[in-house]
Amino acid sequence: MPTTPMFWRIVRRLLTANYSRLFVILLALGAGAAVTSALLNLQIDAKRRLTTEFRALGANVIVAPRDAGTDGNGATLDEAVLGQLPAEHEGQFVPAVAFLYVIGEIAKAGELHFEPAVIAGTQGPGITEIRPGRRTEYISSLENDPDACEIGTKAATQFQVHAGNSLHLRNEGRTATCKVFAVVATGGAEDTQIFTRLATAQSLANLPGRISLIQLSVTGTPDSLNRFISQLSRSLPAVDVRGIKQLAETEGRIYNRISGLLSATVILVLILTSLCVMAGMSNVAIERKNDVGLMKAIGGSVRRVVRLFLAEAILMGIVGGLLGSAFGLLVSIWLGKAVFGVAAQPRWIVYPVSVAITVIVSIASAFPLRRLASIRPASVFRGEA
Amino acid sequence: MFLRLVTDSFTRRPRRKLLTMAALALGMAVATAALSVSLDVGDRLAQEFRSLGANLLVTPQADSLPLQIGGVDYRPANAGAYLPEADLGRLKTIFWRFNIMAFAPILDVPVDASAMSPQPPASLLALGKTTLIGTWYDREVSIPDGTTYETGIEKTNPWWHVEGNWFKDNSADCVVGTALAKRLALKPGDVLNVSAPDKSTGMALTVVGILTTGGPEDDAIVASLGRAQQLANKPGMYRRLYVSALTKPEDAFARKDPKTMTPAEFDTWYCTPYISAIALQISEELKGTDVHVIRRIAEGEGNILTRVRTLLWLVTFSALLASALAVGASAAASVIERRTEIGLMKALGAGSGLVGVLLAAEQLLLAFVGGGIGYSLGIVLARILGERIFGFTPTPNLFVLLIILVLAALITLLGSAFPLRRASRYDPAPILRGE
Repeated sequence: MPTTPMFWRIVRRLLTANYSRLFVILLALGAGAAVTSALLNLQIDAKRRLTTEFRALGANVIVAPRDAGTDGNGATLDEAVLGQLPAEHEGQFVPAVAFLYVIGEIAKAGELHFEPAVIAGTQGPGITEIRPGRRTEYISSLENDPDACEIGTKAATQFQVHAGNSLHLRNEGRTATCKVFAVVATGGAEDTQIFTRLATAQSLANLPGRISLIQLSVTGTPDSLNRFISQLSRSLPAVDVRGIKQLAETEGRIYNRISGLLSATVILVLILTSLCVMAGMSNVAIERKNDVGLMKAIGGSVRRVVRLFLAEAILMGIVGGLLGSAFGLLVSIWLGKAVFGVAAQPRWIVYPVSVAITVIVSIASAFPLRRLASIRPASVFRGEA
Repeated sequence: MFLRLVTDSFTRRPRRKLLTMAALALGMAVATAALSVSLDVGDRLAQEFRSLGANLLVTPQADSLPLQIGGVDYRPANAGAYLPEADLGRLKTIFWRFNIMAFAPILDVPVDASAMSPQPPASLLALGKTTLIGTWYDREVSIPDGTTYETGIEKTNPWWHVEGNWFKDNSADCVVGTALAKRLALKPGDVLNVSAPDKSTGMALTVVGILTTGGPEDDAIVASLGRAQQLANKPGMYRRLYVSALTKPEDAFARKDPKTMTPAEFDTWYCTPYISAIALQISEELKGTDVHVIRRIAEGEGNILTRVRTLLWLVTFSALLASALAVGASAAASVIERRTEIGLMKALGAGSGLVGVLLAAEQLLLAFVGGGIGYSLGIVLARILGERIFGFTPTPNLFVLLIILVLAALITLLGSAFPLRRASRYDPAPILRGE
């Protein structure tokens, strides 16, 4: 285009002629971009964070023997299955704990009175995620003792046991001893159980190398949880892998509702924001009547005039978008902290997306400028509307 | 004259007014929808969480240690303490009785089960040890105030799924866990003989359904509480009670020890549906019990609810902000467009104040009409959102209408305040010259 330098010169003058106008438009575009990127980022982060929050409910997947045995006492699994579980699912650590339940008898060390209790041998990473609750007493130095065990708060009251005490365990003539390093309160059935090393429970039950079941806590959306379960049951055909219905159904429903609501509101807010920016821009277009009249009077074709304004709109869209989106991302980090207590992770995909949306909106808001094509220079100069 | 000017401005150039009004109505519609949905959504979600099951567990005080794995207690019938079933109606007399959504007493009895072989010749197949869980299904409980209340296990544990039918209360029917049914090749219609391990009691139960729970109940028999009491020889007794209550998420105040509260604080705490307050009220009503909060459920629910509420209000707030911006911008646009008119009025002797009041009156009229239209649009939008996402219709709320009208008036005035101020300072001469 032979007139390129002139074209850009006009664009530059258009932009710089009226600083307050430029400021208002950039503010509108920037605010729009900020809201867009903040909400988009928060939405993605909130959905992910929600799936993490649900893990406070405890394990949601169980690996159990395929047949529950014929004697009614429950079948067992090979403990090697624990090693065959994936440590990660979609980048998130999967806590998995093997349990072997034994109904045995326990007594506080030094006392002869044994009472029946459920002894749960556990092994695997993430017992605190699998069994949410708090430790009301805790001696960390004892935790790595080979004979360490934890006791549920109800059982602790019953046997008058505190962290640091020793317990005698007994089952069908086999005995063991363990040192209590923590008292746990979950409010559930776990409060009545004693958690020992897996090997201790295995020797008490005379079931070396066997476990009752494995509990896993998988973070993810309902779909991703189902993927995990089907993948695992394909790779471990000999065992029964299933979601805990109590949690899975509710989690899925609540997750879908909240994420649907979030998406709907975010889309509405985005539409409103673009409307707002468009209203601001068309405002400006009306003020431009005189400029356009003059350009046409000195021979500017409609196409070229429109191209001028488009170039201006795109430039402003890019600048407003770049600045606003960056600001919005910062805001969303802070908002994430306000809502979930953890700063939201900025998703970099959000940045180009929200810049692109801003540019599109600013081009779309140049649309009212088409009206300028019908402007007749003569009437403008006569001061007619 | 003032009124004539206002009405003329509306009737002479309806197109421009329509544009501003459309922006206003749209913005207010979104604001209405967001507000109505988030006003209702908290309660809706709280009810949704009740499908996680009971959040309170009632057990006898001075009990022996339960031998509980998952949801099944393996204690023999002669060990431990029991609670009287007759007291249960009193649960619906506590202060927060309407927040008690459901409750179900449980009595687990270890049993030996055997079934008639389906193929002739009919012979008895011994099936070994299992557990019979006695509970309520759609039981009418009479409450001391003379009314009745229907509750049962499928309300406290909604994830329990039965293929076939549930047993009728106090009938000789039962449902069988899916794992047990597979092992014994049981199907609805079969007859199952159950007896206490010491053979002192026994009975025949008809299988009417197959139960899937995903828990240890899959390997057990579930029948009506009366049958379990006969088997255990504990008439009118149960072992533990699950209560599902609607609660307010615990905050810092709720975590205070009630014993250290001042009387006024204690009253506030007691009269708020915190789970701990409901637990205390239940233990006051059912003597000799320990009421435990199932922390895993209660705390998980509380955390998620609090967060989702904050999040929703945040998004609602940004929807309000965005609609305020949109409305403000179009209000500003409408004032700027009318510079010539303002110049003319001033040239004819109108003061800045009069021009300002005139324009403000027009904008307010717009705001009320646009806000009203937006409210009705928003109610429709809220309906669509509510039905699609939550399967409920938010009730139209006059409180929301009030907020929307005030909001519409405020933001149109604010949006036009800045251009109006500029407009009222215009010097008529240059404007009329077209400069």
